[in-house]
Amino acid sequence: MPLLPSLYNLAFWLSRNAADAEDLVQETFLKALRGFASFEPGSNFKAWIFRILRNTYLTSRTGLAANRTVALEDELQAGGEAGPAAYPEAAIDRQTPEMNLLQMADRAALQAAMETLPPALLEVIFLCDVEEMKYRDIAIALEIPIGTVMSRIARARLALRTALAAQHMLSRESRA
Amino acid sequence: MTDHLSHVILNALVDGELTPDQLASADRHLAGCPTCTSYALNQSLLKAATAKAGLRYQPPPHLKERLARLASQEGSRAQSSGFAPASISPRRSGWGFGSLGWVAAAVILLASVSIMLVQRATQRAEIASVEHAALITEVFDQHVATLADNMAPQVVSTDRHTVKPWFQGKIPFSFNLPQTLPADTALDGANLTYLGDQPVAQLLYRIGRHRVSVFLRQNSAEAETKPFAAERAGFHVMDFSANGLEGVAVSDVDPARLAELVSALKNAQAGAQPQSK
Repeated sequence: MPLLPSLYNLAFWLSRNAADAEDLVQETFLKALRGFASFEPGSNFKAWIFRILRNTYLTSRTGLAANRTVALEDELQAGGEAGPAAYPEAAIDRQTPEMNLLQMADRAALQAAMETLPPALLEVIFLCDVEEMKYRDIAIALEIPIGTVMSRIARARLALRTALAAQHMLSRESRA
Repeated sequence: MTDHLSHVILNALVDGELTPDQLASADRHLAGCPTCTSYALNQSLLKAATAKAGLRYQPPPHLKERLARLASQEGSRAQSSGFAPASISPRRSGWGFGSLGWVAAAVILLASVSIMLVQRATQRAEIASVEHAALITEVFDQHVATLADNMAPQVVSTDRHTVKPWFQGKIPFSFNLPQTLPADTALDGANLTYLGDQPVAQLLYRIGRHRVSVFLRQNSAEAETKPFAAERAGFHVMDFSANGLEGVAVSDVDPARLAELVSALKNAQAGAQPQSK
């Protein structure tokens, strides 16, 4: 089971607790075993099994709850109420590079920032950066077009930088 | 330099996803733009840091053992159901292939074929379910993008005789728009867009203050597909097919009112023959 650590890691990030993560991985594993005949030889096994994990999560109790409460808010915030300026393409945020470097070196700060991401952004950045999957395979795993993968990655990184900046401001205020 | 690289291009750059042409163009820009160079460096550092920070949780040893046990149980279950003939045949040989032996062999063969057919049907159902999920995701994303963009439709008109002809030469099929719409429903316009690499008509309606997208495309299946309805993040998605066209409507309006619009659109197609151009 070479992908077990990766599956469990993402399952824990998405479900936010060990018991749910174990259930999620176990259900994914059973579905993969029973549905292995549907796997097309030559296609990407990693994308296939992450797709099963993701679909299992979406129909799980935590997945349904997260989708109802967070995903829509996130989609609308991207350009609805805040207007076009919130779109990634509209403007590049120009934070101080030194500040970013300090924050990025702080693993705990970045993990805290990752925890603030809604599932739709967390899963895409996880597959891209942690699992080093190509956009094409991420699109297969998440069942979304490549254009959506690209815009979600841009939004996820923007959200991470914003969260890191907010943490930085808070720590400066607490020191002052 | 005023035109900076977009976020999407900068992210694709650090992810190694640019085509050679895009990469060459981005390189030329970065050579003269310290702002974008600094931003790209930051994104690159963020990517590396996220890769490390993301590796946070390790599976507990008991999970691996449990999964190994499950795999073993699944293996024996499959063997006892799907591949029984091989293990039973030596015992059967002792019967001297009498009539009972042939009957047993036929029953086993029948059972194996039935299991195979059930498995194939299950696989087909799973594939259809994955395709539905992909379609729902795509129309949901496009509808939310339309709401969020707050941009005018490509063709702005409440007149069906303006909206329908606008698609001539843009999509490889034709469609009808209902003459009479349900109460409090109005046509806002339409966009030419794509679903699964196919050109589709995105019709924009308004029911009360709720906005509705209806995507119309040529039905890829030979026979009309079974319609489905789904819900995602508070939005209702309704699929219908009529006369060689497949339509998918998405909105956050009350599903009964969305169904009225879907029904009007479906009825409108009854007299329309899809034309290949």
